[in-house]
Amino acid sequence: MIARRDLAARVAIVEDLTPTCFRLELLCCEPVAASPGQFAMLRCAPGLDPLLRRAFSLAGVRSTGDGTIVEMHLKEVGRGTALLRRLAPGAPVAMLGPLGNGFTLGIAPGQRLALVAGGIGLPPVLFAAEMLAAHGSAFDLFVGASTAGELYEVDRLAAAAAVVGGELVLCTDDGSRGEPGFVTAALQRRLDAGRAYVRALACGPDPMLQALGRLATARGLEAELSLEEPMACGVGVCLGCVVELEDGRLVPSCKEGPVFPVSRLAARWRA
Amino acid sequence: MTTDMSTRVGALSLANPILTASGTFGYGLDLADLCPPERLGGIVTKGLSPQPRRGNTPPRIVETAAGMINAIGLQNIGVEAFCRDVLPELDARGVTVVVNVFGESPAAYREVMARCERERGVAAYELNVSCPNVSAGGMEFGHDPALLASLTAACRAETAKPLWVKLSPNAPDLIGTGKAAVDGGADALTLINTLRAMAIDAVQRRPVLQRGFGGLSGPAIKPIALRMVWEVHWALPSTPLVGIGGIETGRDVAEFLLAGASAVQVGTAVFRDPAAPLRILGELERFCAGEGITAVGELIGGLQWPC
Ligand SMILES: Cc1cc2nc3c(=O)[nH]c(=O)nc-3n(C[C@H](O)[C@H](O)[C@H](O)COP(=O)(O)OP(=O)(O)OC[C@H]3O[C@@H](n4cnc5c(N)ncnc54)[C@H](O)[C@@H]3O)c2cc1C
Ligand SMILES: Cc1cc2nc3c(=O)[nH]c(=O)nc-3n(C[C@H](O)[C@H](O)[C@H](O)COP(=O)(O)O)c2cc1C
Ligand code: FES
Repeated sequence: MIARRDLAARVAIVEDLTPTCFRLELLCCEPVAASPGQFAMLRCAPGLDPLLRRAFSLAGVRSTGDGTIVEMHLKEVGRGTALLRRLAPGAPVAMLGPLGNGFTLGIAPGQRLALVAGGIGLPPVLFAAEMLAAHGSAFDLFVGASTAGELYEVDRLAAAAAVVGGELVLCTDDGSRGEPGFVTAALQRRLDAGRAYVRALACGPDPMLQALGRLATARGLEAELSLEEPMACGVGVCLGCVVELEDGRLVPSCKEGPVFPVSRLAARWRA
Repeated sequence: MTTDMSTRVGALSLANPILTASGTFGYGLDLADLCPPERLGGIVTKGLSPQPRRGNTPPRIVETAAGMINAIGLQNIGVEAFCRDVLPELDARGVTVVVNVFGESPAAYREVMARCERERGVAAYELNVSCPNVSAGGMEFGHDPALLASLTAACRAETAKPLWVKLSPNAPDLIGTGKAAVDGGADALTLINTLRAMAIDAVQRRPVLQRGFGGLSGPAIKPIALRMVWEVHWALPSTPLVGIGGIETGRDVAEFLLAGASAVQVGTAVFRDPAAPLRILGELERFCAGEGITAVGELIGGLQWPC
């Protein structure tokens, strides 16, 4: 396990990625080791509003001369994300992490992973793609957004896929770029054409994850889903973020997840 | 100048007045890497029942203005797993452990205590008779003075250790229930548990929480908690109190001590800052030093009112 800490980070960069999403890079003085799928809890403001921290997946971690840069991609949906978007470089941000379990990335030579992202589910998938590329592990990438203007980091995705000879499949709901329709349909077409994957790793909105759960189960494909439950503590003590498992147990997503093999989850993720 | 931070809750001596509140610090070891429990006055475990409990269907939490509403439903690992897997390490680390007890009947409360009595390492018990999030047990004991007195007496018979009763702010008669607990043999009263509350999604036209209601905690409830601690202290001046509700800073602790609490518990603040109990202890030490206080006990019940 990689040790979690409450890090005193500072804003390095805040920049828009799309009309609704922005990149937030935080600089920490200490080294940070994290794996794709893990997340951090950020305090959005020093006072009592908002009271609780917000969970964000890590999109990448790299060391610089000054310390470690932790990259995140955020979608502005409410007060906390709006406050973070307005932070200036140098502003202090308390960051508790890395938290949670992360995706299973290990594969044998000749095997291939399917990485699937929808909307603001891209950060952990991009992190996984770049780490797999660095290890020379093969994957195809399926990245979906509502419309062309909401697709971002396409060059980085393409570069990572190219390293391992993987395909980058872009999809938009409105057909304005890439293949029209959902990423799960694009994956299904590859499976129908005989492409084989050892595992699918996915993050995105619940309907996308459920569609993937159904597809994977029907095709006997292993799949890991990164779930997004409302969280208060992020460290397993409030029991607010529970996910229902196949055996009926409710387990904290922040501790036992946020990544779950679909076979471990309650039937609604497969049916 | 260094202040003597030790305090007593009845017969129980604590190294300092800061404990963690039930349900916000796991079983005491979950956050040990971020907030070493042995440096606190003590920890209060998540409510333990005879058997593991599954808890309520999510969604279980929602943030509100300076607070949050929870409806966890007392999900816990059960007293057996606690005694087997957690308590020995807490004991080895020298943590002062208060076991928060929950049952659906007096027999169930007694069962939890009887199991713990076979172990070493429990400093005190806290009866949760005030949980707003379960249908059986919980609030019904905390709202009826006669029921509460008999439950407390039944639990009193199980142990010679300090017995605390955690009062419900939702009870129609706070002081009556407090007196009933003391009559039943409680050594101290802890207050407050969460306030029954609701959040509504106006677009969906539905309650946000699956159960509809939940319990409000956090800074939003602090003024109510302070008022209740003061009222109970005024009515029962010789009963030790442990204050809870929205504590975020060392100065908040001083306010609870002045209102009559001998110690406090920190709850929701841990979710914002897992090291909050230690930070708050440091702030309290600095507050005392700044005020020229030689022993933190000087603050207890020291409110200059009514004069
Ligand atoms: C493990 C995990 C990883 C996450 N990773 C990311 C990430 O990488 N990037 C990212 O942008 N977000 C991510 N999220 C979601 C993020 O935590 C929420 O978007 C954030 O908490 C919203 O905070 P806020 O204060 O801006 O919104 P709030 O003020 O809390 O909510 C405002 C409104 O937005 C709605 N809302 C809240 N959360 C979401 C959501 N996730 N999607 C749509 N509407 C929402 C609320 O219902 C409310 O109506 C992740 C969540 C989890 C649990
Ligand atoms: C998520 C959550 C779970 C809780 N679980 C319990 C519990 O199991 N037993 C109990 O007696 N109180 C429980 N409480 C109540 C707290 O111990 C405390 O009384 C209350 O939250 C007020 O303090 P605070 O404002 O500092 O959080 C819980 C509170 C929260 C927020
Ligand atoms: S967010 Fe508190 S237990 Fe998961």
